[in-house]
Amino acid sequence: MKRIVICLFCVFIPGTFSLSAQDAITTTEQLIADIFEQYAAESEVDIDYDTFYEELMYCAENPVNLNHTTKEELEKLRFLSVSQVENILTYCYQFGKIQSIYELQLIEGLDMTDIRRMLPFVNVGESGETIKKIYWHDLLQYGKHELFFRLDQGVETKEGYRFLPEEDEGATETNAKNYLGNSLYHSLRYRYHLKDRIFIGITAEKDAGEQFLGSTHTGYDSYSGYALVNDIGIMKSLVIGDFRANFGMGLVLRPEFGMGKSSYVLNVTSRNSGLKKYGSTDETNFFRGAGATVQLGKFDLTAFYSNKMIDGDTVNGVFSSLDKTGLHRTISELSKKHTVSQQVMGGNATYTFSNFQIGLTAVHTILNSKLEPEKSAYNYFYFSGNQQTTAGIHYRMRWYKLNLFGETAMTGNGSIATINGFIVTPISQVSLVTLHRYYSPEFDTFYATAFSETSRINNESGWYLGTEIRPFRRWKIAAYADSYRFVWPKYGIDAPSVGADYLLQIDYAAQRNIVMFWRFKYEEKENNLSGTSSVMPLVVPIQKTSLRYNLSYSFRNFSFKNTLEGNLVRQADDAPTHGIIASQDLSYTFSTIPVVIDVRYQFFDAVNYENRFYSYEKDVLYAFSIPMYFGLGSRYYLNLRYNLNKSLSIWFKIAQTVYADDRESLSTGNETIYGNRKTDIRFLLKWNF
Amino acid sequence: MKKIIFWLILIFFNQCILAQISGVVPASKSIAQTSVADTHNWAAFNNPAMLGYVQETELGLQYENRYLLSELSTKSVQAGFSSKIVNAGLSFSHFGYSLYHEMLVGISFARNFSDKFSMGMQFVYYTAYFNASNSYRGTLFPQVGLSTRLSSNFSIGFNAFNPFQSNIHSDYTIKRIPSVFSLGTEYFFSPEMVWLTQIDKEVSSNYRFATGFEYRMLQNLNIKLGAYGSDYLVPCLGFGCNAGSFVLDLNSELHPLLGLNTFASVKYRFSK
Repeated sequence: MKRIVICLFCVFIPGTFSLSAQDAITTTEQLIADIFEQYAAESEVDIDYDTFYEELMYCAENPVNLNHTTKEELEKLRFLSVSQVENILTYCYQFGKIQSIYELQLIEGLDMTDIRRMLPFVNVGESGETIKKIYWHDLLQYGKHELFFRLDQGVETKEGYRFLPEEDEGATETNAKNYLGNSLYHSLRYRYHLKDRIFIGITAEKDAGEQFLGSTHTGYDSYSGYALVNDIGIMKSLVIGDFRANFGMGLVLRPEFGMGKSSYVLNVTSRNSGLKKYGSTDETNFFRGAGATVQLGKFDLTAFYSNKMIDGDTVNGVFSSLDKTGLHRTISELSKKHTVSQQVMGGNATYTFSNFQIGLTAVHTILNSKLEPEKSAYNYFYFSGNQQTTAGIHYRMRWYKLNLFGETAMTGNGSIATINGFIVTPISQVSLVTLHRYYSPEFDTFYATAFSETSRINNESGWYLGTEIRPFRRWKIAAYADSYRFVWPKYGIDAPSVGADYLLQIDYAAQRNIVMFWRFKYEEKENNLSGTSSVMPLVVPIQKTSLRYNLSYSFRNFSFKNTLEGNLVRQADDAPTHGIIASQDLSYTFSTIPVVIDVRYQFFDAVNYENRFYSYEKDVLYAFSIPMYFGLGSRYYLNLRYNLNKSLSIWFKIAQTVYADDRESLSTGNETIYGNRKTDIRFLLKWNF
Repeated sequence: MKKIIFWLILIFFNQCILAQISGVVPASKSIAQTSVADTHNWAAFNNPAMLGYVQETELGLQYENRYLLSELSTKSVQAGFSSKIVNAGLSFSHFGYSLYHEMLVGISFARNFSDKFSMGMQFVYYTAYFNASNSYRGTLFPQVGLSTRLSSNFSIGFNAFNPFQSNIHSDYTIKRIPSVFSLGTEYFFSPEMVWLTQIDKEVSSNYRFATGFEYRMLQNLNIKLGAYGSDYLVPCLGFGCNAGSFVLDLNSELHPLLGLNTFASVKYRFSK
């Protein structure tokens, strides 16, 4: 019976969706960026695009074999929800080997959009492949090398690069605040991997304004490197150099990708992905040292140690805050560089049994200087000291169609944070998720990044509800509602406050090459009333409503994307303000030469800062831009990719923003540009060998 | 079918202006108080038309506690009788404590027409205790309800509680009784999975919007998930359990400012 159904599908379905390049989203890079945009557009959490891209690109180059896969492997496909991963595994278990990729449509909870997204990253090969022994000569024979070199340059001169002549009055003082280096950004990355067993990488980066060859600093400002080996005997993974540790829901250790509120309404849980290599240009959120995971029966035991220097404004062995920008362009910024030694020891024990997993994670941090924030109401409970211990217990279990998950963590001062929820797919058309969180005001730990309204995991309780409904074959409705409360003042809110978020997104895949969505979002939160001299905190509600329409379609070698978004903001008794943004994207893939061109024109009118927009734009490889827009103006760019041969590819981008609201300068401080235009140029070279 | 979904979405969209309805009307076991179109649940003082769908005589007890304060609890009892011509119901509810309390007594009648349409009416006697005069004052008013099945898996419901805005006049004050008009939908994705939505309007308050899902996960176990909102968004979670002729339900709501609401009900269905 199953084979008859499969045969029927194979006959009828290829007309419905094809593996050819005629989909609305035509390239894997574009698809990854699109998936990331859906996450990042509505998310409050900063997600590291480098790692996100690398992980999915690796899956595209080494597709997951659905007939021989694991939960951990499928969880790398971040756009799949926990219940979708479970459903795929259950289907394989129930019906055996998947015969054709078209069979994916028979799996509960996977719609056309999900399947299209999955296609570049999965295949249905032979089952039962075993882990093979690696020999030294394999490293040279089968290993793949990649080298990336990127350059960024702004065209307009910024204030930080303008030096006064020495004879001018106050020149020494003014010049001392300027950038030490030139305005060129450049980075170098080297990657090596042998299948999914051995990974080696080196990253070096110089930000614009940092000195490369000079009296103060020579060489790149930051270097990063790693070596990761998987599946060597009982050793599940061994990493040396820069790495990340991801366990539980993120209350103890920062997950690789913090899952927050986004249009992927079901993806609210972090994946328990263990020790991971770190090759991003982000200069703060990683460990530097070594770690290993050993598999003993149903137990996975992990231990790691990190020792690195971090940035802080240290004075007499005390510092008030960590500097996480990674920018060392001025004498002042350089004075904070690597002033604090941070040692971290941690471990995890996870027991996995059939449909149940439980784990214990602990981490201890030692700083050689004392962290002592300048106390005010909002940060009254922030951590101060030079040693901190955090531990937590996390669990995941499947009970019938219910996927339960949660984590409870405690810091050394006895404060607690807990997050618990479940996802259920009662019928194939409907999925539901609920998640409750409570983070005590006193809970403040270095590496926590969990589901939250704000980026800091403390002083919050809330309840999130989400649903995804697929009423018809081409339609998908996703909605969430989140109600939260801060029992203690927060930054910018000088009193206890409450808030709520609502999102409704309707996706419609009209045809294989035409997809669109409507996104409605409503937020209500409280903020300090600005411009008041009251001694008592005056907190007023602010409501923001936004509506977005996005249309993507392709025709032959052309693909188009139109976006229209508007918002309305009400604050206290003020008159409502509005903003609008519209863009037209055009991509063309040449038939005769390996060139892809992307062009965009964008118009925005958002006079007030509260009406600002964030809009994703295409970029060179490993760069991801979601610039912020407010004011009145337009932006346009040209993005070009040229594959010179099988080994060499280049990317080039030029973008310009022009403001039409009579402003005479852009940005502030050293970043000030005189005029109403800002132009950026980027270049990237990729070499495979 | 597409039209039904379209209207569902339209209702969902239009109900972003929300309100909290008075606590005089006891809660129902439908998650997020979405009982107005819940054809499988007759709840006292919610929608009398649902009494028309009752097939077996039943007796129910309910207890609702607001924000973990015993003074803010509502106790109610209801009995439904099924007959071939018309179904009848008797309900009683008590809210408050010794110094202040309100009570509702209702006698209701409902008729189900070929399982396509049901209408019901309840005569409600409302009484409140006034400590200042150490006396009870009461008044009688009607409650009407309608329910229509537009297709095998979709129905809508309407309810008007105190439609003529009756009030109580005491020696010193006028006690206002809420007038609530409710409209809701019920959609069965499958026999196990139902989606309920509801909008309420109390004449002098904001709108209240509510939505909830109920899923029969096991033969005897339901899980319920929903939310309602007025000035605040209130998420709701509940469980239901069938044990022979007994039906047990436990719901909870988390108000972001005021805290936890809990609700428990037990119903016994007499087999024919």
